[in-house]
Amino acid sequence: MSTADSNLAEFHWLMDVLQTIDVGILVVRLDNRILAWNSFMENHSGISPDDAIDQDLFEVFPDLPREWFEHKSRTVVQLKNRAFTTWEQRPYLLRFKNNRPITGSAEFMYQNCTFIPVTNIRGEVESLCIIIYDVTDEAINKLEQQRTNAQLKELSRLDGLTGLYNRSYWEKQLEQEFRRQKRAVQTTSLIIFDIDHFKQLNDINGHLAGDHMLRQVADVVRKTIRTSDIPGRFGGEEFALILPDTPPDDAVRLAERLREQVESLVVEDEQAGPLQVTISLGVAGWHSRYERHQDWMVEADQALYRSKAAGRNCVTLA
Amino acid sequence: MSDYQLDDELRDALREVTNVAMGRAADLLARLLDTYVVLPIPVVNLLERSELNMALSSLRSVSSVSAVCQGFVGSRISGEALLIFNDTSFADIAELTSYSGDVTPEIELELLMDIANILIGACLKGLAEQLDLTFSQGQPVLLGQHVNIEDLVRNSSSGWQRALTVEIPYRLEGHSVDCDLLLLFTEDSINVLENKIHYLME
Repeated sequence: MSTADSNLAEFHWLMDVLQTIDVGILVVRLDNRILAWNSFMENHSGISPDDAIDQDLFEVFPDLPREWFEHKSRTVVQLKNRAFTTWEQRPYLLRFKNNRPITGSAEFMYQNCTFIPVTNIRGEVESLCIIIYDVTDEAINKLEQQRTNAQLKELSRLDGLTGLYNRSYWEKQLEQEFRRQKRAVQTTSLIIFDIDHFKQLNDINGHLAGDHMLRQVADVVRKTIRTSDIPGRFGGEEFALILPDTPPDDAVRLAERLREQVESLVVEDEQAGPLQVTISLGVAGWHSRYERHQDWMVEADQALYRSKAAGRNCVTLA
Repeated sequence: MSDYQLDDELRDALREVTNVAMGRAADLLARLLDTYVVLPIPVVNLLERSELNMALSSLRSVSSVSAVCQGFVGSRISGEALLIFNDTSFADIAELTSYSGDVTPEIELELLMDIANILIGACLKGLAEQLDLTFSQGQPVLLGQHVNIEDLVRNSSSGWQRALTVEIPYRLEGHSVDCDLLLLFTEDSINVLENKIHYLME
């Protein structure tokens, strides 16, 4: 073989590799004319090399964000430095379909891209090579994991039975509110309440009826409070509410409404028939003499016990 | 290799080579942001695995950071570059790169990647050119946005024991921007690096 023949042979297999390799290779001149378009690009875009080569990139892909692309390529060209983009930053450079159209869960192909400056013999940047990697599976896994973590985080805050916040999360919120109160102009109030004679209801009608009642009371709480209020179940039959930016008088009105709603609630239990309960409530506004958030809770708790002592089914302000 | 000590000669030489490389990176950053970049002094260390977290925490007094890492390999030298950004820097960076409007987490990520591309790319290129080798760079990976610095490398479970680290703290003059570039070389890269550097110094 002559040197020319072997050069040609080498060129041929090199081109073959570039064509077949399973990453997208796109070379554009600095005026955005497309110079190279391998079969990955052809197959995923459905645009043949004849329709792509020598065309303006933005005419072939009208959706490509021009400003962003030119900003990226400018830094690559000016600084003669590679640039990488990840799917987290921009899910795709060119919108291609997911390469698993049947079993895949993503609508499109997530892409990582590398921008490489291509220099001529004189060392000047003449064009830009963009390599596109299909990272759909990786992206989907990571997104799924993030979603699961977020769900777990939410679940770990909730009380399983009633769906209100659990004690530890609720108390963390109270701690935050306590710190905020030191600077706040508006007073925040606290309501602690429990269901009267709940043990008796449990003993007579069984724990299932008791659980049913707890869920129904939690529903009343959810329907009565405002979106900014923070409801929690302390365990047992005890509940607590943080009412941000609510003076004690308003909190008492809300507590009274809660008391009425629960009093008029009739829970139909399959075994035990219609059940009714009442609640006793204690309300405490924030006070600067509190040293810790627990002092605030103690204050509300004592008001609750005065309600109990006063014959139950009533509201007491600390 | 367990009793390997970092000899002063290698440390000095590595510092010198890094100085040149990061000077170039700083120059590029200065051109991109059109502002003066304070030239940092690189710190070279040999760290045990258990010491890495401590070293990371000592970099930053603030707790909230965003970070990107990128693997590199070439001529039997391999490692990772880690760019750690103080979250309070983003407002200033956005201003310098003339992003207008609110600095959303998306824009922060864009800025983080831009700076990572420049600093990591230029630094590795500078090192490679001096040592007469080329590095392949993997895709950069976002380690986390707005995370606690201790959580950055907690999940790493590969069996590495020690790493040669080069810390490069970058600051911008007149702006509250600071970020740290960390080059971590694997233990088996150290001998190769040493040979290359000897060759360069002769």
